Amino acid sequence: MTSNTFKYAGLLALSLTVAGCASGPGGGSIYVPAGGQSSPDEAPQPPQTGEPRDEPRVERKSEQPDQPVRQTERTAPSYQDEGDALSPAARSLIQRADSLMASGETQAAVAQLERAQRIAPRSAQVYFKLSQAYVALDQLGSAEQFTLKGLSLAGSDASLQRAGWLLLADIRRARGNVAGADQAEARASAL
Amino acid sequence: MTCRTEVRIRYNPAMKKSASPRKSPKKNTRKGKSARRPWFWRLFLRVFFIGVVLLAGWMVYLDAVVTSRFEGRRFEVPSRVYARPLELYDGASVSSGALQRELELSGYRAGDGSQAGTYRRNGGHFIISTRGFLFTDGLEPRRRLSLNIYSDQVQDFRVLSGDPSPIVRLEPAQIGGIYPAHKEDRVLVQLADVPELFTDTLLAVEDRNFHDHVGIAPLSIGRAMLANIQAGQIVQGGSTLTQQLVKNFFLTRDQTLLRKGNEALMSLLLELHYEKNDILETYVNEVYVGQAGTRAIHGFGLASQFYFGESIRDLEADQIALLVGLVKGPSYYNPRRHPERALSRRNLVIDVMAETDLISEQDAARARAQPLGVTNQASYSENRYPAYIDLVRRHLARDYKQEDLQSEGLRIFTTLNPAIQYAAEFAVKDMLGRMEGSSDTTLESAMVVTSRDSGEVLALVGGRDPKYAGFNRAVDASRPIGSLVKPFVYLTALQNPDRYTLITPVEDKGFSLVFDDGRRWEPENYDKEQRGEVPLHKALSHSYNLPTVRVGLDVGIDAVKSTLQGFGVPGGISEYPSMLLGSVSMTPVTVAQIYQGLATSGFNTPLRTIRQVTDAQGEALSRYSLKVDQVADPAAVHLVQYVMQETMQEGTGRSAYRTVPRELSLAGKTGTTDDGRDSWFAGFSGDLLAVTWVGRDDNGPTSLTGATGALPVWSRFMSQVPQHGFSPVVPDGVEYLWVNPGEVALTEEHCDNARLVPFITGSEPDVEVSCGGNIERRIRGWFEGLFQ
Repeated sequence: MTSNTFKYAGLLALSLTVAGCASGPGGGSIYVPAGGQSSPDEAPQPPQTGEPRDEPRVERKSEQPDQPVRQTERTAPSYQDEGDALSPAARSLIQRADSLMASGETQAAVAQLERAQRIAPRSAQVYFKLSQAYVALDQLGSAEQFTLKGLSLAGSDASLQRAGWLLLADIRRARGNVAGADQAEARASAL
Repeated sequence: MTCRTEVRIRYNPAMKKSASPRKSPKKNTRKGKSARRPWFWRLFLRVFFIGVVLLAGWMVYLDAVVTSRFEGRRFEVPSRVYARPLELYDGASVSSGALQRELELSGYRAGDGSQAGTYRRNGGHFIISTRGFLFTDGLEPRRRLSLNIYSDQVQDFRVLSGDPSPIVRLEPAQIGGIYPAHKEDRVLVQLADVPELFTDTLLAVEDRNFHDHVGIAPLSIGRAMLANIQAGQIVQGGSTLTQQLVKNFFLTRDQTLLRKGNEALMSLLLELHYEKNDILETYVNEVYVGQAGTRAIHGFGLASQFYFGESIRDLEADQIALLVGLVKGPSYYNPRRHPERALSRRNLVIDVMAETDLISEQDAARARAQPLGVTNQASYSENRYPAYIDLVRRHLARDYKQEDLQSEGLRIFTTLNPAIQYAAEFAVKDMLGRMEGSSDTTLESAMVVTSRDSGEVLALVGGRDPKYAGFNRAVDASRPIGSLVKPFVYLTALQNPDRYTLITPVEDKGFSLVFDDGRRWEPENYDKEQRGEVPLHKALSHSYNLPTVRVGLDVGIDAVKSTLQGFGVPGGISEYPSMLLGSVSMTPVTVAQIYQGLATSGFNTPLRTIRQVTDAQGEALSRYSLKVDQVADPAAVHLVQYVMQETMQEGTGRSAYRTVPRELSLAGKTGTTDDGRDSWFAGFSGDLLAVTWVGRDDNGPTSLTGATGALPVWSRFMSQVPQHGFSPVVPDGVEYLWVNPGEVALTEEHCDNARLVPFITGSEPDVEVSCGGNIERRIRGWFEGLFQ
């Protein structure tokens, strides 16, 4: 079993997805300093940042972004429709991992990806990248699990979902799980 | 004497052969005189001979001692245990106070921020000059960093000098060691790593003729002896470096003549067998330079870290002078305890450096002007996290032998987060003190904090006194978990969406179970009330016992058991129905393990305390990588997470929000066992999972529940730590719908009793109720078309 047997459809879709996400500001989860006051207004604007500051998304109650905020907002269980976007720091670690992978240093790449996972644990891309690294290490069981984990964070992002399902299809096929692969492919094409 | 007489007699016949009988008496007389002289000589020779033989034997013995110790492993080097390195980047969660503590723990000094190992803080603005660190995945070079901390988050992160990077790791703080029995601690260095100025200074002060003598320097010894005779006691050493090494390496510390003799002989032998540089290198690693509690600090490699937080390679002239000066009396010149003595000793050494032209007079003046500059002892203190290190050792024991851990100088990179550990220790100490108040019960506690998505153990508290290295409750106290088991009972049920949803009515009515042997079991609610029918989500968020047992029996104890095992409960689980109310015992660490799966949408993530182990040279020996394993349907886990958030907002955990900000939207579960013997709380935010236990060591009753014992500790902890709120991503196949839970019907959002509840697609109610209460059946196909 080598990674040559892969069609790379999933990996290709994945690299496009990660690259595509690279421009947006990070953050979907709300950050709460010790003792509260998660409002970003408290902090003075730093003069030298060019990009807009990542603002915690307070509105995450509904799948419809236009829906009015209800009174019960603050007491209802919270959820979100997509995982967090990658921060520039996490992205730089993934880029390091990419170049390590390209030079065949896959184990070192995994170490960088685990660093990225620690600082961006709710971002589907990190797990897909880990999956990719484990494919290169020919540890397909781990690769499959990381893909599933990534999919659990892809939420309503269709391109991430598609990348994940195609990756999963590739891995399952390589593991000889044809039915599972077909199923995953069907999920990808249904998107 | 008999023997000697015989010898003479035996000689005579031979003499007789060539002697005339007449002359023989005379000759005999002469012979008698001359025979007496050789007798003394022979005696002397024989004694001398025997002495030489004995000495030779002794030398052979000493030689064996010297060579065997030198040929084998010369030092047992303890393993070093490091905290996780702090990652600095825009958006990193850290408060100004925590960053400063972290810097001090890593041996940084407040200073100008431009010398490596110093930082400058102005409110929330930091300038940090890192020392650099060789991680196995690459070098973090020295850098000068600038950053601001607003609202407990790093912002405006910039690398002012050094290799630019949007993310930088600080050097990890050493948090402990695994020491050999003799408690000698050292970091081995090679002579090549020691600056030339260091060895030159050492020789200038301790042994100027080192490169010329043969191990002993008779002139020096003579001088010393004279001084000793004059003083009537041994006051002066006059020892060469080789003798000092021999003394420390092979001999006891008594100042006897015999020991002195051995020392001289062994020094000669050592010089005979080994190169000067080999001897010097061993000396550099052997020399005793200080004490930290029971731990003896040996060698200049460790000394430079112990006193300056620096690698020996990077020492400045004044630092070299201090360390060399310490050799004369590490305790007398202890720079932390006796800074004035240390300073004058250091300056004396600087004088020697200038006199012997090792440094210019200008440099000497500059060096003398430097402060002592020793770090706080914190950076290299005794094991300050005994409970955590205990768990690390247990994890290490799976792959490493104890003797290797004590002697091979391994480097163990753990996942401990000092800031989180600090908060956890503080929460336990603070809240237990308050809870006990005037009562005379002695409460104990344990706490485990993990990183929610990686399973890394960030903090571990084994008892109220975090410095006490005794009973580790977090790892060893196995207690019934009470209602902490309930989420798993309902998860098992919710994995059958055709039978259970969050609004399925469940019966809150008493009943009794009769076993085959005639025993009866009659569970009741904590408040002894019965409410008839309640929606499933409420039964869980309010931790009602009766509905839980009914649901558990309906789905089957076997199914619940298999859910628990899938989430990581090791060993057997009781199959008695009382297990549905948590009669099963677990340690806090095991509870953290099984809650990890709940917190991460059904992915079992093995708890880890170690990221990596390397050998002394930094080569990786083992890596403990992140692993995930899907053990439950993420959709069903999402529903349970919903109710665990509800628990905090409306149910048994709601008192948490008195101290914790609501934006954290925490998820959790209380647990209480009979008579308040165990008070549990397990829950998570976006970043952290924490489990707390409060109870008594004698398993006696308390007046506590999960909500009044463990929860306040947990909340106190959570409120101190900056972190992300919990807001799970809605998994595939889950939809949020407005329902009227009492009517088990969909409803409109604006209705008073409307509640937004997640459903596994296809399990939503097929009736709709208006705000006024009129129920109508919906056409399913139409409905599905609308929401999919």
